[in-house]
Amino acid sequence: MNPLESLRLSWRSIRGHKLRSALTTLGIVIGIAAVIAFVTLGASLQAGIIGDISPDDRRNVYGWAADPDTEGGPLAGAQPVFTPDDLESVAAQPDVAAAYGYATIQTQAISNGNETVAQGNGLIATGPSYIREGRLAEGRQFERGEREAVVNPAAANQFEENVTLGDELTVTILGGERTTLEVVGITDTSEGQSPFEGFESSPRIYVPTDPYYAEQAAGLGIGGGSDGSDGGNDTGAGGENGTGIGDARFLAIIIEADSAAQSDIDAARESAIAYLESDRSDASELLGDDLEVTFQTSTELLQQLQDVLALLRNFIVGIAAISLLVGSIGIANIMLVSVTERTREIGIMKAVGAQNRDVLGLFLTEAVILGVIGAILGTGLGLLGGYLGAQYIDLPLVYPLEYVALAIGVGILVGILAGLYPAWRAARTDPIDALRYE
Amino acid sequence: MARETAVSLENVRKTYRIGEPVHALDGVSLAVSRGSYTAIMGPSGSGKSTLMNLVGCLDTPTAGEVVVGGRPVGELGDRERTRLRGTEVGFVFQTFNLMPRLNALENVALPQLFQGIDRAERRERARDLLERVGLGDRADHLPNELSGGQRQRVALARALVNDPAIVLADEPSGNLDTDTEADILDLFDEFHAAGTTMLVVTHERHVADRADRIVHLLDGNIERIEDLERGDESESAVDPGRGTETTSDADADAETGSPTGRREADSE
Repeated sequence: MNPLESLRLSWRSIRGHKLRSALTTLGIVIGIAAVIAFVTLGASLQAGIIGDISPDDRRNVYGWAADPDTEGGPLAGAQPVFTPDDLESVAAQPDVAAAYGYATIQTQAISNGNETVAQGNGLIATGPSYIREGRLAEGRQFERGEREAVVNPAAANQFEENVTLGDELTVTILGGERTTLEVVGITDTSEGQSPFEGFESSPRIYVPTDPYYAEQAAGLGIGGGSDGSDGGNDTGAGGENGTGIGDARFLAIIIEADSAAQSDIDAARESAIAYLESDRSDASELLGDDLEVTFQTSTELLQQLQDVLALLRNFIVGIAAISLLVGSIGIANIMLVSVTERTREIGIMKAVGAQNRDVLGLFLTEAVILGVIGAILGTGLGLLGGYLGAQYIDLPLVYPLEYVALAIGVGILVGILAGLYPAWRAARTDPIDALRYE
Repeated sequence: MARETAVSLENVRKTYRIGEPVHALDGVSLAVSRGSYTAIMGPSGSGKSTLMNLVGCLDTPTAGEVVVGGRPVGELGDRERTRLRGTEVGFVFQTFNLMPRLNALENVALPQLFQGIDRAERRERARDLLERVGLGDRADHLPNELSGGQRQRVALARALVNDPAIVLADEPSGNLDTDTEADILDLFDEFHAAGTTMLVVTHERHVADRADRIVHLLDGNIERIEDLERGDESESAVDPGRGTETTSDADADAETGSPTGRREADSE
């Protein structure tokens, strides 16, 4: 019998039991929708994170000193050990193109003219090249030693009157002291510029370590010497040779390799670690036996997060797969009932010349139709669910098309597997018994 | 009879083994020539159904040979037997056995579907047959929208669709009232007159009387064969003690029956 005819005949019997067929399909719909929705969300989440690693970030290596047993993401358990001298020296090492510190400055509030907004983690003190040229929408990088800042759009737009280049902002540091800064640049996105910040969108203000972190360090007594903080106020000259911020110690260090090539990155990393762990560095005094310097690229740092995401996704897909299994058992069950119920019809068909393979084909087609309809509806529902989810969590929507194809494939497969035994039973029905069957 | 043989049974034995072996057919020989009209009568358990199953290629004999459309059924594999059943045999059942979700036209066309015949051609043939059984206007009705007599007409049309060597009817009027029964049997006569080979299993004498001859089965053997057309009777005699009743009510049906000289014969 030609496949089109089987399809026509099978479709007829599916339509003959609309409610039953719909309920049978529902199991598959839910299973596949769940798989696709979660996989879409997972892929979108991943894209949201990975999309933030810009090409020019790939030559950056992020370092901090922590107990090697500490688990967690970037900066977990980090101790402030790197002095400005260390930074300079690391920058001078072979294979290291540049090195600068990184620290966050706790703030209370930020004012633009008369308007003040509360902001906790607002200031990020780092080197000028931390904000790469390519990520500036307007203006320029801040300069070391100047009271200048680059803000991101979220920070700029949080005031009623948007911050523009040249505006002066007043920042109230956690301790209560106030300091001012001039906005010289605005970034293109509000997402984090490096794994140290996290990648979520939030208001951020980037300032030079000197003078801001120096003052902060002095105020909180981080890393010792308070005399350095005054030097910071003297601007320019002090900043350039590093003496201005005294021995403020940085929690983190960012080095740039000569290129994004893995060999260059490894070379830069080795050379930086070699220096920092040697007696020549200031950091080594504090490293002792407990702390170890870790240098990782964004990709490496994200790998951990991705591993967790992948684990979570597999877990959810596993649950969804169970629902698919239940769905396929549903199809098998209904098909078995259907075969029993239509024993007489099978007898008739065989009496008028239906071959075993015709009967097998009919029932298999029916199961596959149910599976495919379930897969298609499930895919639609899953894509919609993924879309709404991504919209809700504000992620870039990424449809993992190979999974959609897989889901439809699975639907067909489930139909075949679930239909195989019932169809085989139908095919080997003895027409003599079947015709007598009431 | 010089006519070609549509179905022949040669010393056919069918034994079921359910504990003790049961001989449903115990050495039956019978030839059904093309264009003939044969009735098979017998009490239940006499082997009627088994004979039907064998002739209908639904079953294979334990011993002996069943030849349908020139092919030995017992030597064929399931697939070949199914093909033979589809092309050479047309079934008419007591309970009609139409596909409930297919309309009259599709039911009639069903056997051709399994022969891989093109849809348009199938429908044309089915429509033609529906016209011939007087249901041209009911082609798109589902079986449950048809009366019993109409359903049996659909079934007859379906049985004829592949132009089979033989039409097997199993108590074709068993579920019909008297008038409808007469209509269906008239239709049988009509197709028989047009050349169709008929084999009707029945336990009703007046139904059997429509045939050219009646084969009486008893305990798996042919008890005797009544030849209504030519009037003589050949016995394969097993139990001469058991005669047959009949005559009176058979005469009543004579208007529709076969032509001349119909004579009922007693074995005594």
